[in-house]
Amino acid sequence: MRIFWTIVAKELISFMRSWGLLAVVLYSFTLDVYIAGAGMQIKPRNVAVGYVDETGGGISQKILSHLHGPEFVQPKRFLSQKALSEAIFNKKILVGILFDRDFEKDYREGREAVMNVLLDATAASQSFTTLGYLQNIVMDFNKVDFPVALKAHKLFNQNADNHTFMALSEMLSIITMLSILLPAMVFVREKEEGTWDIMLLMPIDTKVTILAKSFSQVLIIFAGTVICTGFVLFGSFDMPMNGSFWAFLLLTFFYIFTSAGIGLFVASVSKSILQVAQLSMIIMMPMIFLSGAWTPIHAMHPVLEKLSLISPLRYYIEGCESIFYRGTQWSDLWPYFTGVILLGSVLYWYGFRKIGKLF
Amino acid sequence: MRLGVVKAYILKEFAELFRTRLIVMVYLMPTMIMLLFGFGIRMNVTHARVTILDYDQSHYSRVLTSKFEDSKYFDPMVLQITEQEALRLIKQAKTEMILIIPSSFEKHLLHGQKSEIGLFIDASFPTRATTMENYVQGVILQAASEVSPQKPQSGMISINSRNLFNEAMRDENAIVPGLIGLVLLVAPAILSALLIVKEKERGTIFNFYASPIRKHEFLLAKLTPAFLLHSVNIFILFLWATWLFDVPFRGSFMLYWFSSEIYILISLGIGMLISVITRSQIAAVVLTVIVTLLPGFLYSGIILPISAMDHESYIEAHLFPVMYFNHIIYDTFLIGEGLSAATNRLYLGILVVYAVILLVLGTLFLKKELK
Repeated sequence: MRIFWTIVAKELISFMRSWGLLAVVLYSFTLDVYIAGAGMQIKPRNVAVGYVDETGGGISQKILSHLHGPEFVQPKRFLSQKALSEAIFNKKILVGILFDRDFEKDYREGREAVMNVLLDATAASQSFTTLGYLQNIVMDFNKVDFPVALKAHKLFNQNADNHTFMALSEMLSIITMLSILLPAMVFVREKEEGTWDIMLLMPIDTKVTILAKSFSQVLIIFAGTVICTGFVLFGSFDMPMNGSFWAFLLLTFFYIFTSAGIGLFVASVSKSILQVAQLSMIIMMPMIFLSGAWTPIHAMHPVLEKLSLISPLRYYIEGCESIFYRGTQWSDLWPYFTGVILLGSVLYWYGFRKIGKLF
Repeated sequence: MRLGVVKAYILKEFAELFRTRLIVMVYLMPTMIMLLFGFGIRMNVTHARVTILDYDQSHYSRVLTSKFEDSKYFDPMVLQITEQEALRLIKQAKTEMILIIPSSFEKHLLHGQKSEIGLFIDASFPTRATTMENYVQGVILQAASEVSPQKPQSGMISINSRNLFNEAMRDENAIVPGLIGLVLLVAPAILSALLIVKEKERGTIFNFYASPIRKHEFLLAKLTPAFLLHSVNIFILFLWATWLFDVPFRGSFMLYWFSSEIYILISLGIGMLISVITRSQIAAVVLTVIVTLLPGFLYSGIILPISAMDHESYIEAHLFPVMYFNHIIYDTFLIGEGLSAATNRLYLGILVVYAVILLVLGTLFLKKELK
C-alpha cells in the first residue's frame, strides 16, 4: 500500500511541475466551461424579421406588433420584395413576411387573406419556431375557438434554459478528453524514455503500478471536476441539483477511472506521444459527439445507436442529466453505474495484460 | 529565400509524415468527423417518445391518440398507469413526455366546454423540449380543427410559407456544409501544432536553432506539406457532401476551392501560434482542440444563426474565422450567389487578411535561439 501512495505522490508532483499542462487543465475546467455555458442560447432570440407591406398598415401592423423581444428584434421594413430577398440571402434577415396589396381587402371582405412567409431554412429551428409564433398570432386573429387547450409544463427546467445544459455537456466533454489523454500520456512518456521496462522489472506487482499511476491522474481530474462543479456550474450558472450530489461524485469517480482505462488502452497500443495524440483523437471524437449531448441517442442512425453502447460517456451523460435535472433516486441509477463499471473492468483487464507484461 | 534549402526541408517533412503515420491522421480524421456528425447529429426532432395516459378511453381521445401514432415525429405508448408511475418513467429516461387526457374529455367536448390536455416534458434537454412542445401543439391543433365543425365567421388569414435554400428541410443540407468549416479548422491546426512542438519536445529543434536556415524558410518548409496534404481534403469532403449526403451544390466550385485553401492557411496559422506557445505535444493537442473545436462548432451557424446570437457571443462569433468561411460555404452549396453578393466578397477579404495576420504573427513569435 505504501508503494501505491508513493507512486501516486510522484505522479502528482511531476504533474505540478509541468506548469503548462497545469494551466491548460485549469483553463479547461473553468473558463472554457464558462464560455460554453454563457455564450449560447439555442432558443430563438433576436430573430431578425423583415417585411414588405403593400397594404398601407392596419391588420398587417397589428400582426407585426406581436413580434417583440426577447425573441424578435423589431421587424424591419423593406420597400420591395427584391430588397427583402437580398437581405435574406445575405443572412441579415431570417424570416421575411410579404403582405401583398389584396391582403387587407381580402380580410375585410371575408375572403381568405394570404400572408406569404419566406423562411431561411438553413436556420431551421429558429425559422420553424417563428412560423409557430405566426400561426398562433394568426389563430388569435381568426377567432377560431378551439375546444381543446394544451397545458404544457416543462419539468426540471421550467424556462428551457440552455446555459446549464451547455455548461454541463462541456464539462463532461472536458472530463472525457483529459481523462483519456493524461493517463495515456503518463504511461507512454515512460515507454518513450524506456523507464517503463525498468518499472516492470522492479519487484512490485505491475497491477499496483498501473493502478497507482492511473489513480494519480484520476485524482487530478476529479479535483478539476469538483472545482468546475462548485465554481462554474453552481457558482456562475444556476445549476439545479434535484438528485443526490454524492451519487454524482461517485458516478464521476467511476467514470474517470473507466476513461482512464481507455487511456491505458491507448497507451498500450501506441509507442510514442504522437501516436497517443492521434489515437485518442480518433477515439474521443465519436465518444463526445455521439454521447447524446447533442442529439438523443435514440434519434440517431441505428448503426451509431448500437455503437454508442460501448461508449462509457453515453451512460455517464445520461446519468448526470438524471442526477442534476431529473432527480432520479439511487435505485434507478443502477444502469449507469453498471455500464460505466463494466466497461472499465474490461479496459483494465486488457490494459493489465497488454502493458503490464514485459514479455 | 533559398529554394534548395526549403525543398530539402520539405522532402524531410514529407518523409517524416509518412514514417510516423501521421498521414493516416490527416485523411482519417476529417472524413471521420464528417461521417459521424453527418449521420449522428439531428436538429429535427424525430422519434420523440411520448407516453399517453388516456383516462377517458372515448372515441375522441382515441382520435387524438391515433394522430400521434400516425405522426413520424412521435413514438407514442398508450399506457394505463398512474401519473406517479409515468413520472418515474421520465426519471429513468425511458420516456420524454407525458400527455394526459382527462377523464371527462369527450363529455366536455360534446357540451362545447373547454377541456385541458396536460403535457409534461422532460426539459433536461432544453432545445429538444421546446421543439417537442411545438410539435405536440401542432398535432393537437390539427386534430381539433378536423373534429370541430364550426367555420369562421369573418375573413380568415392563412399563412403560405416557403422554405428558402433548403426546400425539403433536410437536416443534411443544413449541417453538412457547416461541418466542412469545422473539419478544415480543426484538422490542419492539430497537424501544424504537432509539427513544431514535436521537434521542441524531442530536442531536434536545436538543429533549426543551429543551422543557417531562416525563420520564414523554416515555417514555409513546415507548413507546405501540411497545406498540400490538407488541400486534398477539400475535394474529399466535397465528395462526401455531394455524393454521400446528397447536398446540392449551386455555387461556383472555384470559389469553394479558393476560400477553402485560404481557410486551411488560417487553420495552419492557429496551429503554428499554439506550437510557439506550448512546449509539450500533449498540451499543444489539448489547447488546439479547445481553441478550435468548440468555437468551430458553436459559431459555425449549425446550431444557431449568428444574427440570432446574444450580444457577447455575437461579438465572439465575429472574432473567429469560422463564421466568415461558413457564410461562403453555405452560399456555394445552398444559395449560389457567389461573388456577386457584396457580403461574400467582404468575408472572403476578411479571410485573406486573417490568414496573413496569423502567418505574420507566427513568424514574428517563433524564436530562433534559446531564451
